[in-house]
Amino acid sequence: MAKDRSNSYDYAGPLRRLLFVVLSLVLIAIFLVWRIDSPRVERFRLQVTDRVVPSFDWAMAPVTGTVNLLRDFQSYQRIAEQNQELRRELRKMQSWKEAALQLEQENARLLDLNNVRLDPRLTFITGVVLADSGSPFRQSVLLNVGARDGLVDGWATMDGIGLVGRISGVAQNTSRVILLTDASSRIPAIVQPSGQRVIVAGDNTGAPPVDFLENPDLIRPGDRVVSSGDGGVFPAGLLIGQVAADPGGRLRVRLAADYERLEFLRVLRSYGSEPVRDSAGVVAPLNLTEQVEGLASD
Amino acid sequence: MIELSVSRRWLMGGAFALLSLFILFIHLLPLDTLPARWVMPDLLMGFAFAWAVRRPEYVPVLLLAVIFLLADLLLQRPPGLWAFLMLMACESLKAQTGSLRVTGFPVEWLTVAGMILAVTLAYRVILAVFVIEMPGFGLALMQMGFTIVVYPLIAGVTHAFMGVRKSTPGDLDTLGDRA
Repeated sequence: MAKDRSNSYDYAGPLRRLLFVVLSLVLIAIFLVWRIDSPRVERFRLQVTDRVVPSFDWAMAPVTGTVNLLRDFQSYQRIAEQNQELRRELRKMQSWKEAALQLEQENARLLDLNNVRLDPRLTFITGVVLADSGSPFRQSVLLNVGARDGLVDGWATMDGIGLVGRISGVAQNTSRVILLTDASSRIPAIVQPSGQRVIVAGDNTGAPPVDFLENPDLIRPGDRVVSSGDGGVFPAGLLIGQVAADPGGRLRVRLAADYERLEFLRVLRSYGSEPVRDSAGVVAPLNLTEQVEGLASD
Repeated sequence: MIELSVSRRWLMGGAFALLSLFILFIHLLPLDTLPARWVMPDLLMGFAFAWAVRRPEYVPVLLLAVIFLLADLLLQRPPGLWAFLMLMACESLKAQTGSLRVTGFPVEWLTVAGMILAVTLAYRVILAVFVIEMPGFGLALMQMGFTIVVYPLIAGVTHAFMGVRKSTPGDLDTLGDRA
């Protein structure tokens, strides 16, 4: 029997080693192919995610719900104090609401007077957050809307208030949103009211720094940062957040979107602005062309 | 008896696959979408090492490759690289099973810690060579340290609750013989 065993060991050893070598080579090949032709492999990755994550969803939703419930339960301890805080805020909000309503009416009147046509195509689809990136080094979430719903790479996503990120990778039923906090996220923006153009560059922290700032003196903490639409990929005028200075004196953006609870995200449909292609033609009287043709035939 | 041990092998392989899927599931839960200030230890790595040291036959190389490639794809890492390094590490740990069986736990811990260090370093070096954007050094270091610190706990759980123990001379091994 012992002989039998040593035989089988001899038989299994080389085979196992061969399998190991083959698998290692396959893995290295996948890595190299990814390095050379990353879009194709990323598409494959999206398809795998599209298959795997929705099948987790039946378990993910209740677990996430329960944990959030427990967290909410902890906050019940401070309920009295919160209540007062909310009432105070509500009073402030009511005055703002009044102001907003008046401004809205005024705005509508002015638009009407000027016969302004707003871009009618900025509609949105709302998706539910299925999963996050799963790694502390990447900041992205997975939405349950995808190519089936007509999503296109590069579209902006918002929560109710501010910009959250942009679509990067669309599979049939899911799509990935790279958050503004991710280290690879770069969004062109304008700082209001000085109108300076900057880039909001994510760096894996909660408040992305402001990059490519021409004149820092014109900007002070509290200024609003909105997307500028430069480059044509991204719709302009979406609220990103407010400028804040960190202890080191570096200007960062305090994001307007509530990143602690990303549950529902709006994906803004934007088909880009059409470029003006034809150059100005000569405006001539109608019968002039006929005369010219007549001359040419003579 | 042979059939029994073979079916047990499949069973434990399946158990490891389930455990890995569960860990991935925990990672993917959308609980915290803020950038993290601290990092969870790499549980998948810890469990893979603990199982590979204790019972190499429960974690065949094909299973490891599939699981780690899936993890690479789901967790947004460069696909294939981490899986390849883990495969190398697990195989070299498997080769040391015989010698680690006689020495105590501290030696095993040291060996595994060295392996974790080597994998993390090699990963960063290769990423640097291929000019790929690397995760933050502080966070990666923290994750490595946590994984090493937590390893005894992982080994304990593996030993006590999952029943994956080092084979002792009295045991029947997978082919029904005395080891």
